[in-house]
Amino acid sequence: MFKAVFNQASDMPISIIIFTIMLTCLGLISLFSISMHQFGDLAITTFTKQLLFLIPSIVGFLTILFIPKYIIHKYIYAAYSLMLILIFVPYFFDTIAGTHRWINIGLPVGVQPSEFAKWIMVVALARYLSDHNLRIKRFTTILFPIFIALVPAIIILQQPDLGTAIILLTPILPMLYWVGARPFHLFILVAPVLSIATAFHTISFTVWAILMGSVIYLTQPRLFFGVMFYFGNIFLGLLAPFLWSSFRPYQQKRILTLFNPELDPLGAAYQTIQSKVAIGSGGFFGKGLGSGTQTHLKFLPVQESDFIVSVIGEEFGFITISIMLIIFSLFLLKIVKLAFLAKERFPGLVLIGIGTIFMAHVFVNTAMSTGMIPVKGLPLPFISAGGSFLLSCFIMIGLIMKMSDESIE
Amino acid sequence: MLRSKNLVPRSRLLVANSVIIFVFTILLIRFFHIQIYGHNQYKKRADINRIRAIPTAAPRGMILDRYGQILVDNYPTYILTGLPNEMGNENWSFSVISNCTAIDTAILIDNFDRYFRGRFIPSRITKDLTFDQLSCIEEHKHELAGINYIQFSERSFPSGVHISHALGYVKEIDRSLLRNMSEPEQYDVGDLIGWQGLEKQYENLLRGDKGLSFLQVDAFGREVGKVEDISDIKPIPGQDVFTTIDLGLQKTLEKAMSRYKGGIALVTDPVTGQILAFVSSPDFSPDIFTGNTTLREWRDIVNDPTKPLLNRITNGLYPPGSTFKMITAIALLEGLMIQQDEEFECDGIYQFGDRVFKCWKLSGHGKVNLDKAITQSCNIFFYQAVQRVSLNRFINLCQNFGFGSKTGIDLPNELAGLVPTRDYMNRRYTSRGWSRGHLLNLALGQGELLATPIQLAVYINKIATKGKTFIPHFLLSKVPESTNSINLNEETWVNVEKYLFNAVNHKYGTGLAADPKINGVKVYGKTGTAQNSHGDDHAWFVGYAKDENQMASTIILVENGGGGGKIAAPIARIAFKHLFNKNIEDRLAVK
Repeated sequence: MFKAVFNQASDMPISIIIFTIMLTCLGLISLFSISMHQFGDLAITTFTKQLLFLIPSIVGFLTILFIPKYIIHKYIYAAYSLMLILIFVPYFFDTIAGTHRWINIGLPVGVQPSEFAKWIMVVALARYLSDHNLRIKRFTTILFPIFIALVPAIIILQQPDLGTAIILLTPILPMLYWVGARPFHLFILVAPVLSIATAFHTISFTVWAILMGSVIYLTQPRLFFGVMFYFGNIFLGLLAPFLWSSFRPYQQKRILTLFNPELDPLGAAYQTIQSKVAIGSGGFFGKGLGSGTQTHLKFLPVQESDFIVSVIGEEFGFITISIMLIIFSLFLLKIVKLAFLAKERFPGLVLIGIGTIFMAHVFVNTAMSTGMIPVKGLPLPFISAGGSFLLSCFIMIGLIMKMSDESIE
Repeated sequence: MLRSKNLVPRSRLLVANSVIIFVFTILLIRFFHIQIYGHNQYKKRADINRIRAIPTAAPRGMILDRYGQILVDNYPTYILTGLPNEMGNENWSFSVISNCTAIDTAILIDNFDRYFRGRFIPSRITKDLTFDQLSCIEEHKHELAGINYIQFSERSFPSGVHISHALGYVKEIDRSLLRNMSEPEQYDVGDLIGWQGLEKQYENLLRGDKGLSFLQVDAFGREVGKVEDISDIKPIPGQDVFTTIDLGLQKTLEKAMSRYKGGIALVTDPVTGQILAFVSSPDFSPDIFTGNTTLREWRDIVNDPTKPLLNRITNGLYPPGSTFKMITAIALLEGLMIQQDEEFECDGIYQFGDRVFKCWKLSGHGKVNLDKAITQSCNIFFYQAVQRVSLNRFINLCQNFGFGSKTGIDLPNELAGLVPTRDYMNRRYTSRGWSRGHLLNLALGQGELLATPIQLAVYINKIATKGKTFIPHFLLSKVPESTNSINLNEETWVNVEKYLFNAVNHKYGTGLAADPKINGVKVYGKTGTAQNSHGDDHAWFVGYAKDENQMASTIILVENGGGGGKIAAPIARIAFKHLFNKNIEDRLAVK
């Protein structure tokens, strides 16, 4: 058995491992810097905690390598059901930081089951979409995958954890696209969401309406459907502001809080400004390890997880940020290439799904830190502090290893 | 089970690759924009974020007497502060402090609110902690999160004299005060500012310049250490102010005046305008404005019917009484309206129209000339003689001697007194409501006329120096400023001085008691017994003494004291005795 694993390992894409190690090291250096000026017990700094979390993470990574591919395929629906139960469990525990995200298992650290929902959902979705009887060109076929992702997403949204819920939904479109769904069907899926989202801004809504019209014109669906779809969306968009204003203020607030639960008392604008100041003051070469004034004087909020990029930007400068972004992009390009080269559809889809999850994390985190999108707490893979997330990332690396088949090249 | 083949067209790979490259290019451009293009702007922001300039207090200058003896000094005390953000249970903290310091919790909370400037800036709770109180608080330190004590200098008064009205006091600036200040940028809450007296007048000299200490602060405004690359700006201590006060004389006169309920003793040097002693009685200990004066003590001082807070020398308004007779004499002499030996009959009573005026000596002075009228202070003489002078001319002379306007002494809030001009009288009584009988009152310094003692000092100094005196002042280094000029015949000055000499030296003189009888020292003066509608007569003595080296004038007033010759003149003698003592050593307060 070990020999088989070893043989398999020798076929694995070694570059993925190298990228993972590089990114993990960058994360550890940043956390070390943050911990340099932390007071209190030396053993429980963010840095040492993260070092400890590496142990279960590597164990998790190796465990995946030992599980044969067909076992994963066979039991993934069972795992999916178990996952649905697990993400319910936190509701039976006391809230931590006002949310039902963690399961207290008697250890000093809690477990966050929603982290594992991400990749379990991806694998389950991959199994469904790789069924050879699947008639992907039919619209009704693509509704079930949405259901697979939506169920855990809605449960997690209630925890509340909007970030993870959004991450859960992101793999659907790329995976459907990869498997060959008609782009127009995908467009139909996205359209209502965009109709509501743009409804609160006149110019955006006009642009969207024109865009939607041209897409329908170009794809030429049946006339009745096309007209119904177009005006249905316009109507939805026009209705949304009225619906919103018909809510009472506390209801509106509840909905807004749902979409931005980590709203800082000082205001999200404060976080964004401080993050930009930290990144901008770093310049090209940065201020050096442990010399970031914004970081160490605590101007930077949640610096060890959500705003870790700001620490890197301040202390190690644009040069390191560029290298980090290049590594991430090479890492993702490699995953896509592996997906393309996969012999079977199932591993290919798993790779695409996992790649999407990584990419969504990297984009949301960095775009938020630089003020491109509203503040939404999502960690940066391999770099941000956090045990469950690190373990989840390493398991996904394990899955990438497992699903790739470089020997075919 | 894994049978489905992975048949993906190359175009999908290209789309996926393009999306990844596109997204990461956008991110790279964004970072470039912030880190390279916006670097300077964000670097500035980062520095503002972390550096806070903390002002360091400059020690206030001392106030000294003319010989360098200390009147006002600084004295280090401890004040207790609380950092609002770090204080847990405020009420508990206050009750612990209250137990340690024996100060009521309500007062502590009141102070705390008064000095509150924000959650991250320490606010004062109480001050003047004794060592015992400090050690008690130190014992309970674990219960008192956010509570600290710092050193703070306070004014102290080691000399033992009060001189409270001249020195004035400093006030600590609190929030409401700072809001109402005209130039608030110079001060901060907790700073001391001269609020009255010399402390206020010479605030700019005494204050000094604050220094700046640059501290690194964190996002919560907490100080975390020094900034290495910027050095502190040292505070420049305030200058010491030498006053013209003679501490020994001040002490002697304060003691002499303490026997009476109210009054003043003022000694100036007519030649220079310097103020040597300044006693406004009753006074108060200047340290009531420092430390924890209780509300009750305060109320006692404020509501005291004898008004200890009133500076009687610059803000007390009195009828000058007979001390004013020299004005009338000068008016007569200057107008050549009287002969030196011209006599009027005084039989104790004088009838003018339907009014009856009396002399203080009811049996009458008999035949009286000008010399005798001043020497023996005969009223009837002046009632009759003054009728030769026009009101305007008389008022003009009063104004030339400085009555009715501020003297310009270097103390804030001086009053101008009142000279009843024709316009004033018309306004007050209508043009038919008053008569020349009014002038008869004026001749004796009574009626509507009101003067401050400092005006009387200028008046007597002008007589002593033949009009060449200077504005009274406290600052030793000050170049004396001339008073308004007054042109009288030399003969008039000589005659008036002769009368004043006789008033003290003639065997029937009213001011005999003012002469200390020191060889070579000549004393001149005039007593006054001013009628006062509120009670007994005020006792006055104005006069001066000189030998070949120095000159000094005194103004003495004992409120409701009775006769000027009996009550006020002996106090002047005490002052002269001290000043003309040949032994300099004896004149110092500290022996």
